[in-house]
Amino acid sequence: MKVDPRSKMLLVICISGLALIYNNPLQLALLLAVSLALLGAFRFDIGMIGGYLRPLVSLLLILFLIQCLFTKGGQVWLTIGQLELVSSAGLIAGASVVLRILVVVNSAMLLTTCSSRDFVLGLIQWKVPYEIAFMVSIALRFLPLFRDEMQNVITAVQLRGVELKKVAWGEKISMYRTLIFPVVYRTMLKAQQLSIVMEARGFRAYPRRTYLRRLDLYWADYVIMSLALTVTVILLVGQIL
Amino acid sequence: MSFIELRQVEFCYPRQSSPAVTDINLKLEKKAITAVVGPNGSGKTTLTRLIIGILPPDKGEIYLTRSPLARYTLAEVGARIGYIFQNPDLQLFCPSVAEEIAFGLSRAGQGPQWIKEKVDFFLEYFELDGYRNSFPMHLSQGEKQRLAIAAVLAHEPEYLILDEPTIGLDAFRKKQLVEYLHKVAGLGRGMLLVSHDMAFVNKLAERLISMENGRIQSDSERRGRLLNEG
Repeated sequence: MKVDPRSKMLLVICISGLALIYNNPLQLALLLAVSLALLGAFRFDIGMIGGYLRPLVSLLLILFLIQCLFTKGGQVWLTIGQLELVSSAGLIAGASVVLRILVVVNSAMLLTTCSSRDFVLGLIQWKVPYEIAFMVSIALRFLPLFRDEMQNVITAVQLRGVELKKVAWGEKISMYRTLIFPVVYRTMLKAQQLSIVMEARGFRAYPRRTYLRRLDLYWADYVIMSLALTVTVILLVGQIL
Repeated sequence: MSFIELRQVEFCYPRQSSPAVTDINLKLEKKAITAVVGPNGSGKTTLTRLIIGILPPDKGEIYLTRSPLARYTLAEVGARIGYIFQNPDLQLFCPSVAEEIAFGLSRAGQGPQWIKEKVDFFLEYFELDGYRNSFPMHLSQGEKQRLAIAAVLAHEPEYLILDEPTIGLDAFRKKQLVEYLHKVAGLGRGMLLVSHDMAFVNKLAERLISMENGRIQSDSERRGRLLNEG
């Protein structure tokens, strides 16, 4: 069963929207389970999720710790002398932040199960201007490029005989701070070259574009979209009331 | 004892139907100069990436001084084998040309004066002195290629793998590179050259391996290689 990219986009919007509204870790955990189930249903390789999330682990840990330490309330779990360090409210806030980010990232992965061409076509058939739709597709393309550039730099550093795991933290931070500059510069250079190539190939040369293909919605798409919207509205109303 | 050995190595890129290299059995000696030639897409670059450890083989084993390559970290391999990418952009990451050459030299346990002398030597030899404080990304393709070669050679690795090192180099600088690689070979360092430039290969290689469709087609010693003694 092939699902239209517009149905997937609506699912992403609904799940991400609910993730932003929910504050309860249990609700967010359920939302995470739903997003994982949807990824499985759309034949996304669940094993790859770890690869996508691994770079975020340290960030998630830091956010969790910050929330734990600076959100007060409820039962106190850890004190140092008179200083209350960790409370139940802090743990709940920390868990909520982490789960929210995981839900948003996982639901965004749904968009990788369709080609960027179909994604752009879907947006255009939703009356989004072509330039905006193309910008979104390019942004999605550049995220893995940025990751690849970083990986290339790390490989190059290691091939110069530098064992990154054995470098002291202070020196490592200083090294990464230096390395981020060529990574950003090279990515921006690629973006600049892309814009030149696009113009050279007639991007926006004419006011009207024609398309080789057209996306059609089938009964499965209508069911998915109706279900997603209905459930989201019910949950939102329930949350408000 | 072979410095590098590949046994029944095969590798297929993700989502590709046929392997990029297959049935590779190869022994590379530490002090020999070997060239790998072949048409585009024959697997030459893939072979070099397998040897350096960037890509893990799907089948077979690769050995570095009789130990499985998998036991080494990329840094340990990089400390012993200098690898020059086909695209020099992939290996330039410092804010200036001088720092690019100096990167990692402090780990040799030598002082700043030694590092400075080494950097000065390579900047002068590869005619990059005028770009000492320039951002590497602003150099021309040929200049970046020279910088990438200089940055790797500065570490004096035991063995070199050069993937299309003459791309972007003019005739004078190709001659300069040949001369330098002769000197490096004279110091007992072997190398693996991947090149389409047969004139360059003929001046250096003692052994010629040709590849096609991911397989080694021929492997021959070159007796009395042509040298430009001029």
